[in-house]
Amino acid sequence: MNRDELIKYLTDKFQDKLELLETGAVEPFFLLKDKSFLVELCRSIRDDSRLHIDFLCNIAAVDTCERFEVVYNVASVKKKIRFDFKLIMEYDGAEIDSVQEIWPGANWHEREIWELYGIDIKNHDNLTRFMLPDDWDQGHPMRKNWDAPDFKRMPEV
Amino acid sequence: MSKGLRTEEFTINMGPVHPSTHGVCRFLLTMDGEVVVKAEPVIGYLHRALEKICENRTYAQCIPVMDRFEYCTSMSCNMVLALAVEKMAKIEVPERAEYLRVIMLELNRIASHLIWFGTTALDLGAITPFLYGFREREDILDLFEMTCGQRLTYNYIRIGGVAKDIPPEFTPKLKKFLDIIDGKIDDYEKVLTYNPIFITRNKDIGILTPEMALGYGVSGPALRASGVKFDLRRDDPYSIYDRFKFNIPIGQNGDCYDRYQVRMQEMRESAEIVRQALAQLPEGDIMGRVSRAFKAPACEIYSRIENSRGEMGVYVQSDGKSKKPLRLKMRGGSYNQLQVMPELIKGLKVADVVAVMASLDIIMPEVDR
Amino acid sequence: MEIAGIFKYLFERLEATGLGQPWVDLISLVAAAVIVFGFLSVVALFLVWLERKVSAHYQQRLGPMRTGWHGWLQTIADAVKLLQKEDIIPSTADRPVYFWAPIIAFVAAFAVYVVMPFGDGLIVSDLNIGILFILAITTFTIISLLMAGWGSNNKYALMGGMRSAAQVVSYEVPMVISVLAVIVFAGSLSMVDIVESQAKIYQWYIFRVPFGPIAFIMYIIAATAETNRTPFDLPEAEQELIAGFNIEYSGMKFAMFFLAEFVNMFTVSAIGATIFLGGWQGPWLPSWVWFLVKTMALVFVFMAFRWTYPRLRVDHLMEFAWKYLIPLGFANLILAGLMKSSGWFNW
Repeated sequence: MNRDELIKYLTDKFQDKLELLETGAVEPFFLLKDKSFLVELCRSIRDDSRLHIDFLCNIAAVDTCERFEVVYNVASVKKKIRFDFKLIMEYDGAEIDSVQEIWPGANWHEREIWELYGIDIKNHDNLTRFMLPDDWDQGHPMRKNWDAPDFKRMPEV
Repeated sequence: MSKGLRTEEFTINMGPVHPSTHGVCRFLLTMDGEVVVKAEPVIGYLHRALEKICENRTYAQCIPVMDRFEYCTSMSCNMVLALAVEKMAKIEVPERAEYLRVIMLELNRIASHLIWFGTTALDLGAITPFLYGFREREDILDLFEMTCGQRLTYNYIRIGGVAKDIPPEFTPKLKKFLDIIDGKIDDYEKVLTYNPIFITRNKDIGILTPEMALGYGVSGPALRASGVKFDLRRDDPYSIYDRFKFNIPIGQNGDCYDRYQVRMQEMRESAEIVRQALAQLPEGDIMGRVSRAFKAPACEIYSRIENSRGEMGVYVQSDGKSKKPLRLKMRGGSYNQLQVMPELIKGLKVADVVAVMASLDIIMPEVDR
Repeated sequence: MEIAGIFKYLFERLEATGLGQPWVDLISLVAAAVIVFGFLSVVALFLVWLERKVSAHYQQRLGPMRTGWHGWLQTIADAVKLLQKEDIIPSTADRPVYFWAPIIAFVAAFAVYVVMPFGDGLIVSDLNIGILFILAITTFTIISLLMAGWGSNNKYALMGGMRSAAQVVSYEVPMVISVLAVIVFAGSLSMVDIVESQAKIYQWYIFRVPFGPIAFIMYIIAATAETNRTPFDLPEAEQELIAGFNIEYSGMKFAMFFLAEFVNMFTVSAIGATIFLGGWQGPWLPSWVWFLVKTMALVFVFMAFRWTYPRLRVDHLMEFAWKYLIPLGFANLILAGLMKSSGWFNW
């Protein structure tokens, strides 16, 4: 199905949970308004016979200077569909559910988000140190307000 | 009745400094004799915080940083970021630049598969094919050095086109290379493909089912060897790949031997694409119109290409106000393949751990960034 | 030019000095040991250089070229380097076991040459149980591998030691059986008798179809496994266990293991040449030249194996020995016995 059909199908299926964003990208980009609906949404798009989303490409966390966003890029290998959706949350008490029971590959992506951003992941089975050294105690490096004595910001060009 | 012999499981550390873990990867293997019961990869030894660095650089300055994301296929890393930015800012790339990009990408794919071939044979004990693979790779690196001055991290595919045009000596040398490469791949197959020892070490080892592969996000030759015909050059075409005719090899069982055969065949298909691209190469500019003070509009985009290790993607978010990306997340194929590895090696022996890792073609810079 | 004549002359001169029988025996045996030891050391150094050159040419490169003409001084340079290295002993190693392992490997490698016929009359002592003595002494290597694996107090070394013990013990049996097929025909265990029963080229045991070639191929395979060479070099699999049983050895101890491995390779080639290829028999050239030519041909075959084939996994290796080679060997032995008793090869 092409882009318009896909948008229509998804907005019909999930009505008020998904909102289409205008981001200038080729694939549709949705905003998931209800965080607790995340696992439901992932399960239904995986099991839907017209969508058959079986491939999770990427989970990325973003720190715009006002809030956190978690972006999911998903694809279907059989039906050749791609779209993305994201969640937004405030800095305090940022947490999301783990989708590792739906796509096992999400495990490491979420572990990395937990370690580098400090977003709590519920129902994850292995939240331990990943990329940073075992004795790291200097906070969550990927946040925009993180600073360290040897971290130099490049001047504006 | 006789008392059973008391056995104990012990933990062995296949440490970060090991001749067969490709790069610095550490495995904590819990073993019962020679059989692996549990495996836990420990990564982060090559973490260079590339994503944080990219948040601090303009888009043009991010291109050489992306080179280091996966240094065996630097051209692909440059390409994926250039594609993302060109889509965001709607920049036109001239025809000649597109063809040159395709030639360089496919040559880099052959070079990367030659590294894979050499290290696979080396890990299994046959030391000679390593030297043969690197001998052919020297020809490719000479071609790259002639064009952009670098042998490993090229910084060649820029936003809007390519950096430099090919010199006049490039085409005859490339034609000579394309003439010999098929014969050389036949030679490599003679050494390894029908060797009974190689077959026994690789057949039915590390079988990856299609469901497991898709669930874990494995892509590229490892996915195709499990029988799923998914290649981004065909199914999600980017650049000018829809103008070339090439086959997509797939396997049946998803064991190490199938992954080996898929990659050997892919080398031949890449050579075919280069021949077609070279025949159709037009004249023209090599760089589109990109302003010096380049600012991307406020948008977010996930662009992806087919790398020799799977789907390489980059998620870029720009806020429209500054010349630097707000967030640049890199996604490499080896990350997911390393994640699925502990599932594959349960119940295998230590020697098979090495064979599975070599056949999945995992390299650590993609995992650690 | 027959060297046996020189030794005979020197022996007569020694007897003529009138020292008394025990002294004459002692001096002659010590002199023989020193000569054999010297010859073998030169051979070991030569083989190291040869391996490097052969492997380089297989891999399209040149090998050592700068130290002397085509690098012939390279091994001497390496030996000097290893001699002046610090001898590191891990603090938790089992000291006596760790210390004696390389010495036993070295002694077992050299002790075999007491009964090796280097040429016509060039044998230190022609024991009438020659081949049995050789097969018994070559088994000593297992003890040294196990000691090295245990004494290093390192999991990788222990795994390497266990694997090597399993492998060498398994492949002793096919080696002995293949040699037995030849002994059934020669009718004697003495090395000189075996060589003399192959006086003409059509009498060489490798050509005595059908049991000869089968026994020869089995012997080559078992010999590769006995000396821990690829494709059977699991005990020292560099890519998996990082040098296996000799991880913790450095300096002169490592040099002893290394040289013992090359001398072992020369030993099994020499035994193969003696038993299957006619030993020192051959026209025109002196007998010791023929011996060297045949042995070096087999050495070259072993080197070709190493640089071509990948490595077998440990369970494939054991399966191959016990399920395929040993039944084949026994069938071959029965066939040889039948042929001898029926008088088939009486030329």
